Amino acid sequence: MKRIYNAIAIIGSPFTTFILHLGRITNLFFQILLSLAYPFKNFSLIIKEIHFSGVRSIVIIAVSGWFVGMVLGLQGYNTLERFGSVSMLGSVVALSLLRELGPVLSAILFASRAGSGMTAEIGLMKATEQIDAMSVMAVDPIKRIIAPKFIGGIIAVPILSLLFNTAGIWGGYFVGVTLLHLDRGTFWSQMQSSVQFHGDVMNGLIKSFIFGIAVTLIAVYQGFIAKPSALGVSLATTNTVVSSALTVLALDFILTALMF
Amino acid sequence: MEKNIVVIKNVTFGYDEDKPIIKNISLNIPQGKITAIMGGSGSGKTTLLRLMSGQYTADRGSVSVFDQNVGSLNNREILKLRRNLGMLFQFGALFTDMSVYENVAFSLREHTDLPQEIIDKIVAMKLEAVGLFGTQNMMPQELSGGMARRIALARSIALDPELMLYDEPFTGLDPISLNVSAMLIKKLNDALGQTSVLVTHDIEASLKIVDYIYFMAGGEIVASGTPEEVQKTNNPIVRQFIDGKVSGPFSFEYDTSLDYNTYIGLDSQSGNLS
Repeated sequence: MKRIYNAIAIIGSPFTTFILHLGRITNLFFQILLSLAYPFKNFSLIIKEIHFSGVRSIVIIAVSGWFVGMVLGLQGYNTLERFGSVSMLGSVVALSLLRELGPVLSAILFASRAGSGMTAEIGLMKATEQIDAMSVMAVDPIKRIIAPKFIGGIIAVPILSLLFNTAGIWGGYFVGVTLLHLDRGTFWSQMQSSVQFHGDVMNGLIKSFIFGIAVTLIAVYQGFIAKPSALGVSLATTNTVVSSALTVLALDFILTALMF
Repeated sequence: MEKNIVVIKNVTFGYDEDKPIIKNISLNIPQGKITAIMGGSGSGKTTLLRLMSGQYTADRGSVSVFDQNVGSLNNREILKLRRNLGMLFQFGALFTDMSVYENVAFSLREHTDLPQEIIDKIVAMKLEAVGLFGTQNMMPQELSGGMARRIALARSIALDPELMLYDEPFTGLDPISLNVSAMLIKKLNDALGQTSVLVTHDIEASLKIVDYIYFMAGGEIVASGTPEEVQKTNNPIVRQFIDGKVSGPFSFEYDTSLDYNTYIGLDSQSGNLS
């Protein structure tokens, strides 16, 4: 009988751990919401975080977007050519980027570049007792450290997603028009006629905003619960990237089902 | 009558309920005095300090600071209580992304509406008090361990707290820095009319500056008294600690149920090959 109980416990353990983390991260989310007045009063803290997580991610986002757009252009051209519809290339590139690839990939890249940095910073502050020191100095670390990072992240991700889309469309244009000699007017006019501002651009932005909340929340949470050791911080940064990627992909499926 | 700033009554605390780190401790910290809590590593000194600052909550008993029961306060009330409290961490815990100036000005900016010029002057005064005026623009990475500790001290006294908690302030300091730090603690305590609690295992430096000593071992207070009483005591634990003897009631070895000889394949009684 004891063996059966142990087996149930082993099977159930990951689920209870998941529920525990879900509860804690929700609790942190509400604590951040209650602390939002502080960073808006000290707006320079938000600017600093947007610079750290957003401005410093511009290059990686733009370059990745450009290459993704080029791949879309190439694959799209080859596939559409079989059906005699290469004129639709502009629409294919734009819709793929605006609806799916832009929000998803920019959020995953943000998690890898800036999210892991946030986790490591908070984790190291914890390991070196800086968070304890702040708390003993009667300053709530959630207000002073976590909330500005959270706001910085949710502002940065949608903007980075727009940048990713723009770079991607230019990448697709470069392959389709410059390299494969598709008519420039056709490329842009097809795109213009098939892309809807509310249905595609805005829904993509809403996705990015939601991904920004998820990724930044995961990053600050992982930093906050990191064990105060080198291995603990290392594990926390890995968890940030893995959990963010999985969460973004899962959320993307749900949002796509609801939006399109 | 002497007023007590901190009153600890029958406090028990542990991270794991089965293994208490603090066992039914009671002590008082009188106003205006420097009280040392001494004992070997792992005796529960730092944990006791963290109970006073409200970082931990006692499992049993009560910790009162400024006549408020720390265990019954909510988060906001604890933050309010901490405005009258300064704490020096073992390795300073300076904010590494801020300059020395920003570190010392941190609580002034957070808790007061003082104009910039006044903050500049207070920061300069606090740095001068710890002998480090002129380091305002340096970053924590550019400071030596002793300097970082003194900057952290300047930061913790920025708001002139009534109660100062020092966690191992002498660890890892060279003899000169150690004496400078000890004298600084005494000077600040007297000049600012503070009450200080010093957690340390440095006998020599502490005996020069403290008014009263509590000795801890295994999560309990095993002796207490003035520095003179402690120096003359025959308590075997305190004597072993002061004289630094290897053998005595303090065990150097970890308390384990495993038998070493059996573990490495020797006869458990004789220690010979079995």
